[in-house]
Amino acid sequence: MVVIEPETNNFRELVRENLANEQQRKLLGDFSLILKALRDFSFGEMADGHAALQGGQKIREYAVNSLPYLLETFEENATKAGAKVIWARDAREANAFIISLAKEKGADLCVKGKSMVSEEIGLREELIKNGIDTYETDLGEFIVQLAGKRPFHIVGPAINMSVDEVSCLFNQVLGFDKTQNPVDLTMAARIFLRDKFEGAQIGITGANMAVAETGSIILVENEGNIRFSTSAPETHIAVVGIEKVVPTLSDATHMLKLLTRSCTGQRISEYVSVITGPRKAGEVDGPEELYIVILDNGRSRIYADEAMKSALQCIKCGLCAAVCPVYTHVGGYAYGWVYSGPIGAVLNPLLLGLGKAKHLYQATTLCGACKDYCPGGVDIPNILLSLRERAMAGDRSLAADRPPVRQKIFYCLWTWVLMDRLRYKIVSKLFRMVLRIAGVGKLPILPAGLSGWTQCRNMPQPAKKSFHDLYAETSKWMAL
Amino acid sequence: MSDSVALFVPCLVDQFLPEIGQSVVKVFRRLGIDFSCDLRQTCCGQPLINAGYTEGAKQVAKRFISIFEGPDYIVAPSGSCIHTVREHYPRLLADEPEWHKRACEVSGRSYELSQFLVSKLGLDDVDARYKARACLHESCAILRRLGISDEPKSLLKNVKGLELVPLNDADVCCGFGGEFAAHYPNISEAIVKDKANNFQASGADILILGEPGCLLNIRGYISHNGLHGRVKHIAEILAGE
Repeated sequence: MVVIEPETNNFRELVRENLANEQQRKLLGDFSLILKALRDFSFGEMADGHAALQGGQKIREYAVNSLPYLLETFEENATKAGAKVIWARDAREANAFIISLAKEKGADLCVKGKSMVSEEIGLREELIKNGIDTYETDLGEFIVQLAGKRPFHIVGPAINMSVDEVSCLFNQVLGFDKTQNPVDLTMAARIFLRDKFEGAQIGITGANMAVAETGSIILVENEGNIRFSTSAPETHIAVVGIEKVVPTLSDATHMLKLLTRSCTGQRISEYVSVITGPRKAGEVDGPEELYIVILDNGRSRIYADEAMKSALQCIKCGLCAAVCPVYTHVGGYAYGWVYSGPIGAVLNPLLLGLGKAKHLYQATTLCGACKDYCPGGVDIPNILLSLRERAMAGDRSLAADRPPVRQKIFYCLWTWVLMDRLRYKIVSKLFRMVLRIAGVGKLPILPAGLSGWTQCRNMPQPAKKSFHDLYAETSKWMAL
Repeated sequence: MSDSVALFVPCLVDQFLPEIGQSVVKVFRRLGIDFSCDLRQTCCGQPLINAGYTEGAKQVAKRFISIFEGPDYIVAPSGSCIHTVREHYPRLLADEPEWHKRACEVSGRSYELSQFLVSKLGLDDVDARYKARACLHESCAILRRLGISDEPKSLLKNVKGLELVPLNDADVCCGFGGEFAAHYPNISEAIVKDKANNFQASGADILILGEPGCLLNIRGYISHNGLHGRVKHIAEILAGE
């Protein structure tokens, strides 16, 4: 299996493809409707859902602002509890450590819990390339692995695939009989994966939270595969992004309430594992060794940038996608990399570099629904604007391309026009004249912006007289 | 009312929809609101901010602030323009203490039309008459950025002859997003189509909204596709007699 290269700059093509998928469009509509209803109901049940949301946003803001201190405290307490903490600066370092550890243990089979950060560093593909057979054990992620695709959604990686598609996939890859019964398909995956759980020497997971106060990691899931992955193999490796740390266990329980409600509208998920160190003497469950790989991979750069910092407050609940007018039409593949939806429009450019994802932060309506629903308090609309600003300035620290000269000149002229009443009056009059000619189809070529507009809309009728002109006339008349 | 009110006319209203500005004038006159409209104003700079051209946006913001420093209230028939003044001006000018102070001062006195009438003047009946069956689209900048939802509803409830029917997904974006609509027309079309379909299904003849940009987008889509119904700004309804 190959590491899938980012396709973030292939956005327009991906959008066209995905918009044409009627079945997917219908599913996205239902997905958004159902998730919003479940989410609203589960927050409505709380004594004060709004206050709870604000409380969570404050916890995340505090945690991100105190990252260095919290991470050191976490390392200290996790080490005390018997875990081995490893710091990885980037994907390469994290993967190299995990592969050398696996080789040292003589491992040839590895089971994985669903983890976005491991997708980000391409860990599964790297392990397989190095001869360590690795299986995703979350049903959706398992399907994604077999299909060789990217996750369609942060929480539901295969929500876009129909029973029929999964059935064909299982038939082709695993040789299972075709069926239209999703329960049978799930059972087939369980039977297939059961052997892997039992034979695996290493279990890899991410973490939903790392608790500084206790040195624990917290894992949230509905299928039980993560708990299985952390307890059956002798070695458990958790890959944790630096932003996942929260100060206390009490903060973590508050965030947990918001996380499950925002993810799936559940009061609590089926399984919540709080893992503090490896198995201790007298305990029945848990691995003999626990390694926690704390990963930076570009995050400390985001931390150091005041305008972008709040992106790290994300708890990966995926709710922003379900409320986003763009995601709910184009779906997750259009974002071209690991993260999708509004948070993908922010994280993909920040992690890959602005030049490698130039459409994502432009192709948004800035409606702000993501911000309103976000349990982590990520100010997505303002980060998007800041990304546009950096792209316009050609910011090298975010790996932006050179400043777009033609656009810059255009906006510079626009500014010049707006800075003076007379210029505004003359230029806008000319502009209205051009539009009027274009409106009756007499303009041979339309400027790019106008043709985009008229693709599905009529040209707005320019006013014969501007409001300013009309107002000036009436004022004169009134003064008489 | 003795406080002074300055009318801030969004550039889209000035160029494409002067009837919205005239409607606001009509409502103000009916209510006896003493207002002025400084014709030195041009645009708040929102398109520059959205494009990421901050240098230009800063100059335009300062010019706007200088023009609108006098009056007690600044009122516009648009949520996104008011949001630009309220949130973005202080943010843009954060590094220039003197200008930042002036920006905060001006932003604190800026109001979207329905917000001004209901929350500031305490009016929810402007003595309007408009015979139609209508529904309300809650534009994102008004609903989400300014937190205004009850104000337009209470004003419309008191318009004589107006029957308000519910609009499905009234709080979902219409797909305008400024230049987004022109740069990513495929996505924008998919989104505005849903809005138009919901409008058609509502049984209303008129879709009311408070944002000039959304109005041009939805109206343009409806006329391009020969669909039933008209799109009106709330000021036009409130000006009805």
